[in-house]
Amino acid sequence: MNDYLEVRNLSKSFEGFQLHNITFTLPKGYIMGLIGPNGSGKTTTIKLILNMLKRTSGEVKILGFDNIASEQEAKRNLGVVFDSNYFSDEWKISQVEKSVSAFYENWNTQKFSETLKRFHIQPSKKVKELSKGMQMKLMLACAFSYDAKLLILDEPTSGLDPVSRDELLHILSEYIEDGEHSVLFSTHITGDLERAADYITYISYGELFFSGGKDEFIDSFRIVKGGCEELSTDLGKKMLGIRNFSTGFEALIKTEDLKQFAHLNVEPATIDDIVVFTSKRGEQYE
Amino acid sequence: MSNIWKSAKLDFSLVKPYVKTICFTMVLPVVFAAINRSLLTGISFAMCFIAMTTGYTFSITEKNSMERLYGILPIRKSDMVIGRYIFIIIMGLTALIFSLIAHPVILTILGESISIFDYISAAVTGIFLFALYTVFQLPGYYRFGSIKGRVFMYIPVAGFLITLLLITKSPVGESKLLFTVINFPILLMLLAVIFVIAMYVVSILVSIKILKNKEM
Repeated sequence: MNDYLEVRNLSKSFEGFQLHNITFTLPKGYIMGLIGPNGSGKTTTIKLILNMLKRTSGEVKILGFDNIASEQEAKRNLGVVFDSNYFSDEWKISQVEKSVSAFYENWNTQKFSETLKRFHIQPSKKVKELSKGMQMKLMLACAFSYDAKLLILDEPTSGLDPVSRDELLHILSEYIEDGEHSVLFSTHITGDLERAADYITYISYGELFFSGGKDEFIDSFRIVKGGCEELSTDLGKKMLGIRNFSTGFEALIKTEDLKQFAHLNVEPATIDDIVVFTSKRGEQYE
Repeated sequence: MSNIWKSAKLDFSLVKPYVKTICFTMVLPVVFAAINRSLLTGISFAMCFIAMTTGYTFSITEKNSMERLYGILPIRKSDMVIGRYIFIIIMGLTALIFSLIAHPVILTILGESISIFDYISAAVTGIFLFALYTVFQLPGYYRFGSIKGRVFMYIPVAGFLITLLLITKSPVGESKLLFTVINFPILLMLLAVIFVIAMYVVSILVSIKILKNKEM
């Protein structure tokens, strides 16, 4: 099996929000960043993948298993890390292992102990005594202990200091090194993805904007800059977003449209630029 | 180990840090038994009190957002529900056994004599009351959460009062069936046990349906 996660035409309707026809695949051995501004549908997508929300339509396969019809099989090799911990605050770390390990046939106690040691987590401590970063590492330690093939992380870096974020990205890079594990990683801190992700799926206002290779994503867009007099109607039609200044403007355009505007100052776009410009939906702002 | 049992064990680990608090609630009914000099009264209070603590698993789950943990575990939702019922029934039975030992000791010290029939009738009444409280309460917790769901505990109390009112207003003596049941305690107990099993089956099915349709 080459694709560890397959999401096809996934839709979900809420009052006032609709996630519409989200399709992407995550191959074995890679990290995919799931990006988009707040409220774009990242967590909804993840909850639909985990069958924590009922989908309106579509299909999700985790490691080849349908996430509803074969939920147990699908979740057996799935590890999940949320933005905050999901263990009882009163549990000691040893109790976390006792409570969770029973559900996983291939739980490896030695591996759990080693991972805790590596992450500097003392088994005698209570969950509530751990910092946010440590709690996140505890969730990771659990997932590593049953050798979860697919790891899904929902905004794991939000609230983490730069050192902990860097550490997490290092851990994830190590995790996929053997080519047998994959990571889906939702975040709005796009700097993390520039470093760690191989693939990007970008959801904007419930719609799939892009899904594919990270380099392809970044290469598909350019920032053009110019003076106020250079802002033509043609450019207005092609640009995906604009930022106006008193002296000029900068706009995001598709690389394929670049030839027409070669006279302007062109710069590569970062993931942040692409998300910020496209999220404004072409609205002008100072 | 089956997933149902694993789920029950997980629920036990949730309330483990609160065991002392739960045990404390078992002390007060001993006092009631002593004041009323009645095993039946003590057991009835004990089972009512322990039924009130069944919301702990739901409260702890909510407090720690643990529905996300339950959401990622490789276990069917029906197994989670049955596991929780089993854990709660075990809690009830433990409280019953404790009360059936502690209350008679106190009553004997106070000079009361307790027959085997007292034991059996108190046990069956205790089980019946506990079941009556929890079969309404648990689906309420699953549907509305630990705070709003608590109101479901009062349904059997209201139902009990209405039944009492109806019995006093109606000519009980004319009902041959009711007369037979009341005068044959063994039949009454047997019916109570059958009724308890039937109530739990329906309650479990309702809770499973609620959880399957619930979005986390």
